This record gives sequence, C-alpha cells and structure tokens, in this order.
Amino acid sequence: MEYILEVENVTKSFKLGDGNELTILNDINFKVQSGSGISIIGPSGSGKTTLLGLCAGLDQPTGGSITLNDIQLNRLSEDDRAYVRNQYVGFVFQNFQLLPTLSALENVMVPLELRGEKNIENRAKELLSRVGLGERTKHFPAQLSGGEQQRVAIARAFIGNPKILFADEPTGNLDEETAEGITHLLFEINREMSTTLVMVTHNSELAEQTGRILKLHGGKLIEDTFVER
Amino acid sequence: MDYIIKIIRKKKHPFFSKTTWRLAWKDARFNIGRLMLFISSIIIGVAGLVAINSFNENLQNDIDEQAKDLLGADLAIESDNYPFADSLIHPVDTLGLEIASDARFASMVYFPKNSGSRLIRVIALEGMYPFYGVIELTEGSNIKDFRDGNSVLIDESLALQFEINVNDSLKLGNGVFHISGIVIQFPGSTSVTTTFTPSVYLPYSRVEETGLIQYGSRVEYNRYYRMEEENVQKAVEYVETIEDENDYDWSTVESRKEDLSKGFQNLYRYFRLLGFVALILGCIGVASSVFVYMREKRNSAAVLRCIGASGWQIFWIFFIQVSVLGIIGSILGVTAGIGIQYFLPWVVSDFLPLEVSLFLSWKSVGEGLLVGLIISILFSALPLTNIRFVAPMELIRGNENPSRIRSKFRIFIIALILLFPWLFAYYQTDDLLKGSAFYFGLLFAFVCLYFISRGLIFFLQKVMPKNLRFIWKQGFSNLFRPNNQTSVLVIVIGLGAFLISTMSLIQNSLLGQVEFVGSGERSNTVLFDIQPYQKEGVLNLVKEYDIPIQQEVPIVTMRLQGVRGRTIEEIREDTSEHVSDWALTHEYRVTYRDSLISSEKLAEGELMKGSYNEGDSLFISISDRLAERLDLKLKDELVFNVQGLPITTYVGSTREVDWQRVQTNFMVVFPKGVLETAPQFFVVIARIDNKQVAANFQQDLVKTYPNVSLIDLNLILNTIDDIFNKIAFVIRFMALFSIITGLLVLSGAVINSKYARLKENVLLRTIGALQKQINGMTLIEYGYLGLFSGLAGSILALIASWALAEFFFDTLFFPDFISLVIIWIVISLLTIFIGWYNSRSILKSSPLEVLRRET
Repeated sequence: MEYILEVENVTKSFKLGDGNELTILNDINFKVQSGSGISIIGPSGSGKTTLLGLCAGLDQPTGGSITLNDIQLNRLSEDDRAYVRNQYVGFVFQNFQLLPTLSALENVMVPLELRGEKNIENRAKELLSRVGLGERTKHFPAQLSGGEQQRVAIARAFIGNPKILFADEPTGNLDEETAEGITHLLFEINREMSTTLVMVTHNSELAEQTGRILKLHGGKLIEDTFVER
Repeated sequence: MDYIIKIIRKKKHPFFSKTTWRLAWKDARFNIGRLMLFISSIIIGVAGLVAINSFNENLQNDIDEQAKDLLGADLAIESDNYPFADSLIHPVDTLGLEIASDARFASMVYFPKNSGSRLIRVIALEGMYPFYGVIELTEGSNIKDFRDGNSVLIDESLALQFEINVNDSLKLGNGVFHISGIVIQFPGSTSVTTTFTPSVYLPYSRVEETGLIQYGSRVEYNRYYRMEEENVQKAVEYVETIEDENDYDWSTVESRKEDLSKGFQNLYRYFRLLGFVALILGCIGVASSVFVYMREKRNSAAVLRCIGASGWQIFWIFFIQVSVLGIIGSILGVTAGIGIQYFLPWVVSDFLPLEVSLFLSWKSVGEGLLVGLIISILFSALPLTNIRFVAPMELIRGNENPSRIRSKFRIFIIALILLFPWLFAYYQTDDLLKGSAFYFGLLFAFVCLYFISRGLIFFLQKVMPKNLRFIWKQGFSNLFRPNNQTSVLVIVIGLGAFLISTMSLIQNSLLGQVEFVGSGERSNTVLFDIQPYQKEGVLNLVKEYDIPIQQEVPIVTMRLQGVRGRTIEEIREDTSEHVSDWALTHEYRVTYRDSLISSEKLAEGELMKGSYNEGDSLFISISDRLAERLDLKLKDELVFNVQGLPITTYVGSTREVDWQRVQTNFMVVFPKGVLETAPQFFVVIARIDNKQVAANFQQDLVKTYPNVSLIDLNLILNTIDDIFNKIAFVIRFMALFSIITGLLVLSGAVINSKYARLKENVLLRTIGALQKQINGMTLIEYGYLGLFSGLAGSILALIASWALAEFFFDTLFFPDFISLVIIWIVISLLTIFIGWYNSRSILKSSPLEVLRRET
C-alpha cells in the first residue's frame, strides 16, 4: 500500500514566557494513502490547524517525524521544504490568501512560474475557466467576491498537479450556497486529478465526504474513522 | 540509524531568474504610491548632496583657475599705514621681473556735474598692474590716458549712482581730475565690495594734489611683483623675516586660493553639514518606508512561501523593487541637484569675487548616484532580511509579533549601517575628528532619545491615576501597553525635530553674523578722520544744519609692547604660550571715556570714573574677547606703545561688546586724562533724517574739509540688507531640504505606527466606541508623543547647535527661541494630524468592513 503522508509520534509544543511548555499536539500517528481523502476535525484549540501546517511542511514538529511523498520533512531546511511544497503540495485557505497585487490569472500562474516553467498562461486560463472564472482572468482579488476568490485559490492550488492538497476550512468564510459550490468544485477537481485531500473543517457533513475523519481533542488524536460512501 | 535527506535541484541564483524579476515587477506596478516616501527621501537627500557638492566643486575649481587673475600678480606685499622703506624692500625688488604698486585709502569724492558726493576708496596706482587678467572697462574708456597720468578711472557702480560718464570730472580732496574710463571689473573686487565702497583709480603720481594722506588716515600700501615661480618662494621667505616688525603681509597665488577657500569656509561647512543631515534624514526615510512596506508585504511573502518560494527568492523580489526604485530616485535626485546647482550661482554671484562657471561635476553626479544606491540598499536591507524569515504558518496562525531573527547577514548589515554615516560624515567634513564628532553627536542624540522614551513609559506607568476618564486612560495606556511604538516614535520624531531645529538654529547663528541689530533710533551718518584742528569747525557745521550729534569719539592708535611683564617678542617666541598672535601685533584704535555706551555691558571689574590722577595706577577697560585672546585677568599689566611713548596700564574691567551694532566699538578704552594730548583724530556719529539736509551737508563738508570722510549708513545698510537677503535666501533654501526630508520622514514613521493601533481601534469601534472617543484617544496618544519628542529634540538641538557654532563654525551662538518653539509646535501638530488621519480609515468605514479588510 502506497502512503503519501506518514505522521509518526508527532508532538508540537511552545515555550511560554514563564518557562513552562504548552503542548499543542501530543504523540500523533496516522498514515494517508495516495489519492484518498481525510478530514481533521475537533473543537477550537484542539490542534487541527497546527497539525495541518506540520503535515504540509509549513512548520516543524517538536518531536516525531512527518514523511510527505517519501521525504522526511523535519530533516529539511525551510527552503527545501518550500521546494517540496512547490513540487507536490497545493493549498486552499479559509481567507483565500491571494496575492492582492496580482490578477486572477497571475495568481494562478505563480506556482508554475516559481518552478521556472514556461508557456503556462493557457493552462492557467483553462483552469480558471474550469472553476468558472474564464471571463474574470484580469480581475484583481479586491474586484472578486469571496466565492470567486476561493475559486481562484482552488485553481492556483491545482495548477501544479499537486500530489496532495491541504485545505484549511475552505468554506469557513463563505455563505451556505457559495460554500456548497466550492465544496463541489474542490472534490470534483480533486477526483479528476487523483489528488490526496487533507482538510481541516468544523463541518461534519463536509468531513464525511472525504471518507476518513481524524478527531482531535486537547492535542491528542482520539478517533480515526473511515466513512463508508 | 540517523540519515540525511538532501534535495538536489538545479540551482540558479534567484537574482538571475526571470521569474524573480517578473514577480518583482508584477508586485511593484501598483505599489509605487506606497513607496513615494522611499523615493522622495532618496530624491531629496541626493539632490541636496549633489547640488551642494557640485557647487562647491565648481567654486573650488574657479578659485583655482582664477586665483592668478584675482591677485593680478605672482606676489603682492601689503604694508599698513606706512610706505615701503626702499632699503627693506630692495631684496624683493631685485627678484621681480616687473613691479607695480598702489596706495589705498578712503576719501570723499565730489562730482561737480551734479554736486553728488560719497565715500569711496582711492586706489592710487603706479606701474602696469595687473600683470595677469585685465581691468575690464566700459566702451569708450581710455586706459592709456590713465596710465599716462592724465586722468582717473571710476567704478561702474559709482558712475551709475551719480550718472557720470567718461570725460566728466571729479574732485578728490583738493584736486580736480578728468575721468577717462569706467571700470566694470578690477582684479579681486566683487560687485558687492564695489557697491559698498566704490573705487576711484588715480595715477600714483597725482596723489599729492589731493592732499588727502594726513596723520590718522588709514592708508594701505601694496606692492605687486611679476616674478619667476622659484623666486616667489625666496621672496616670501625674506618677507617673513621682516613682516612682523614692519606690519607687512604678503599674498601669493597659492595663499590667495587658500584665503578665498577660507572665506567661504562657513558657507561650505554649513552646506556640507546640510548635505550630511539631508542624507541622514533620507536614510531614516528609506529605512522607515521600507519597514512599512515590508510589513504590508509579510502576508504576500507568506503566501509565496506556502506555494514554494524560497526565503532568498522573496528577498530578491523585494530587493529588486527597492534597488530599481533607488536607482530611479537617485537619477531624479541627481537631476534635481544639477538644476539647483545651476540656480545657486545666479543667487550668490554678487558676493563672490569671481565668476562661477557652470559645469557638470561628474564627480558629484557619480557620488550622488552611488550614495543614493547605497542608502536605498543599505537602509532597506534590514527590513528586507526580515522578510526572508517570514514563516508560511503566518497565513494560518497570523503573527503579530515576529520574533527577532539573528543571522550573520543581519549583523553584517547592522554593522554597515552604523559604519556608513560615520564614513560619510568623515567624507563630508574631510576631517576625522569633526566627522566623528558629527557622527557620535548624532548617536548620542539617538541614545538620549531612547532613554527619554523609556523614562516616559516608566513615568506614565507609575503616575497615571487609576480614576482617569476612559479616553484619557486609553490614550495614555497606549503609550506603554504591549506592542506600543513609543520608543520608535520618540526616537524618529525626536531625531527629526533635533535635526530640523539644529539646522534652523545654526542658520540663525550664521545669519546673526551678518545681521545688523539696531533700533529705529540707530545712527545713520559717521564722520571720521577729523583732525584735532578741524574738530571745532566740523562740529559747528553740524550744528548749523541742526543735526543731533549722538557720539563724539576721539581715537588714538597704539600697539602692545608688553603683557604681564614680558615683551611681545618674548611671548611670541615662547611655544608654550597660546595667546593670539593677531592680538599681540595688531594696531589698536583706542578711545577714552568714563562711561559705557549702549552696545556694551560690564562683565568684570569697574570702569574708571572721572579723570585719571597722575601717579595712580592706570586702569583700562578691555573687551571680554580680547581678555580671552590674551588670556588676561583683572589687574594684569599691559604696556602700550603710543606713538613711541610706553604707557603701563592694568586691566581694570572687562566689557561684553555687541560687535553687531553699528557703533564705534572699542576693544580697549582708556580713562579720561591720559590720552588727550596724544596725536589723535575724531569720529562723529549723528543721525540725519532729511535726505535734502543730508545731501547739502555732505556737499558743504566735502568742500570745506576734503579729508574728512562721511559714511552714509543708510546706503550701506540698504546694500547690506540686499546682500543679506540673498545669503539668507541661499541658506534658507538649502536648509529647506533637510526640513522637507525631516517632515517626510516623520510622516512615514507616524503612518507606520498605524498598524499598532489599527486592530485595537477596530475592535473598540465594533463594541461601540464613538468617533469622538477614538479621536480623543488618538489625539492624546499622538499629542503626548509629538509634544514630548519635539521638546526632547529641541533641547538636544540647542546643545548641538551651541557646540556646532562654538567648535565647528567658530561663530557666536544666537539661539532663536521663537523658531525653536515654532518648529516644536509644527512637529507636534503634524504628529497629531497624521495620527488622526491614520484613524480616519477606521472611522469612515463600518466596523465589519474594516474587520474583514484588516483582521
């Protein structure tokens, strides 16, 4: 069985000003199969977002190891992790996180530009059309609605054919109707491209759609549920 | 087993990657406005530097090129009051290829054509002087007639004033002369000096006809030589052996160059100091604007990090933006600087003794571009290095207090930032000691302001009453709460206030040097060179015209012979003595009286009242500056040589004298009853309000007493006002550079502080704070910061400008408290205004809108 993500004995803690330590994550273990989906749920402060960040190589664990696409992330420098993200990882954030000074098209092109790829404009346009923004390519983030911005973010996340997509509350800032559209789009493209999906959410219905739910509480993994679809 | 994973990828330096440049451009194209402060800081800093240094270079170059023409000879020797003794000067004469001489003295001139008269300088010329350069004459002038001894020449300003043409005549003393030419330019004269005291050029052979050289007339004798270069040094060596006892002075082309450069030293120094200050303010502007910019860009950097950009790649994206804008700013600054440089000579040409040519100083251009690039890169490097370390997790977690990063590169940059102003100060002053003093002075101000800010925070925490009204409590608390910007703002606002006020105070001190202080009752007419036998007649004439006499001053000339029991020669040979050589050898003009005049104040001791009784110790009064120069205390002995007769005196008192006043001020005042019988002459000071009376009186005086000179101070004061305004304009214009830069920098710093309060204010607004409450808190916080920092900066500026005036410009310190207070108020108001302006975006929008946008 091929695993794209392996999390072993991961802990994350912070030193407090008074010398004490605050443990956010405690001895987390799980593996994620290539092309599958997984949701991380739990109450606020349970460590969901921290775990997502660690899995994506955005931060370093205090202990344990994380292996992404056979690369052990905690042995890499920040720049090497940036390279790994660029090659294998896509992101969708709750606050969209588009670059405000770039147009929709340019935002989508950036990951490939960073790879040094050429002739990427048509691919970016195709992807924008795929997310329903074929006519808005020249618009800047400030000229787009929340839902449209998230569509651009999805197009940006998928342009590099990532092996794994990390989504942090992707519908958290959207109304119900728009959220539904975005969810549908996200899962659809994910399926088309056979990408692994790791998602943090509060929405249990949405979590169920991924097929597997990890439940965190107080920094510990308390449940690992496979949902039959 | 431990193992290492390496990712081997083709590495191309991000700087050379097209992607980096493309991203830099894409990100920058809509951000130019945000970097306006950055570009303005560079433009103004570089423009000031280029204009100042380029003009200085032009002037220096012209001095070098024109020094020979200005002197008109290879060697000039000057003798005060006594003609050259043939036996003494003979060894020099034998070295000369060609010799010329002149005698210069002040006199009244009278034009029969229109009965005009005024004080002029007579230059009685013998020989073919000038040997280099020419006497520039108007068309129709006949210099041959003058050289043949048949006629005189007059300055153009004099001809214009009295509408005199070639072939008119004039009366000098007892002689009437035919005018054969009008002089536009005589070697060494400026249009200012000729407007002040225009000259009449007289063949030396005809001086006697005037009968003007009498006892007490100040006559300066000059001797000019054309000689081989190697002989100039020999001649100078000889003159140096006889100059002290004969009161000779000499000038060569080289020494004239030095004198000219020294003459403009204070102007140079002030300009160079302004250049330094403009640049330092520029540096602060660059650092603070890039800091703000990078803060805004943290999120974009985190996004780029998330999608795979390396820290260095992000660094280079913003580095390219900053460098390209730095280069554009430098080019614009250099262009503006050149524009100003072309404008400066037009303003200052009147008081320069030489024609300032305008050439593009490539050195200054290169210097401007280089310095612009250095400051734009160096002072933005620190915020740029921070962006390298933006954690991608900031996107999810947010990070309001990025931890300080310690990297070797950062330490290296900090070291360069500390070193650069030092090196630049040294370069600008061309003096390691003075450059270091500038630098450490600035550093001292910086450290002081830091401690003041800490003190302010400590004080507020300790004394703030608990029961203050909400907005007061909130406003003051903002100054010491976590994430406060008190230290940063106190330092930047204080430093801005410090530099602006220092420049303003120094400007006042320099202007004070040339300003005339006097009331509406000031004297406007001075009659001098009145011989004792003429005194009664002149006074009667004054009375006839009903002119009120304000002062009647006797003057006796004398020299020092001994100080505290030692002869002048002994003191001068003693290398351990550090008294002023000038004060030892100077010919003193001394008066006698038993009371103080309005421009004097007693500093120490007592002025001798009544008349001196023979046999008593003779106590005199000296000016405090002379006491300082000769290192004298009360009761110290001074022996004066009065026309060959030694008189032993003791210091009885010292006086503070306001030398800026148009008065007959004296370094040495004798009591009555000592000098009355010594050879002397008189000066009468009066005030004539009616122009017609003044003209008639002048005519009568010139006709009856041709050797008595009259100075019309109104004429001089008007000319001085005109020149003074021009100098003041130049100084103010240049000072404006540092002030504008300072204000820009202040604005940048205060705008920057917006981020500290933004979130808090939005939340307050969300939970129901009213507009006036937010305004009130902002006014209290920024008002307190502005007032306190401005005051601290102003006090430091007082100390710094005193030190600069005293040790750098060697001038009296005239603190102008009104300007200081105005600057303080303006800076405080500006701080409050920008603080209020910052919060407008919150107040004008709905809380939700702002929360969505900003949080």
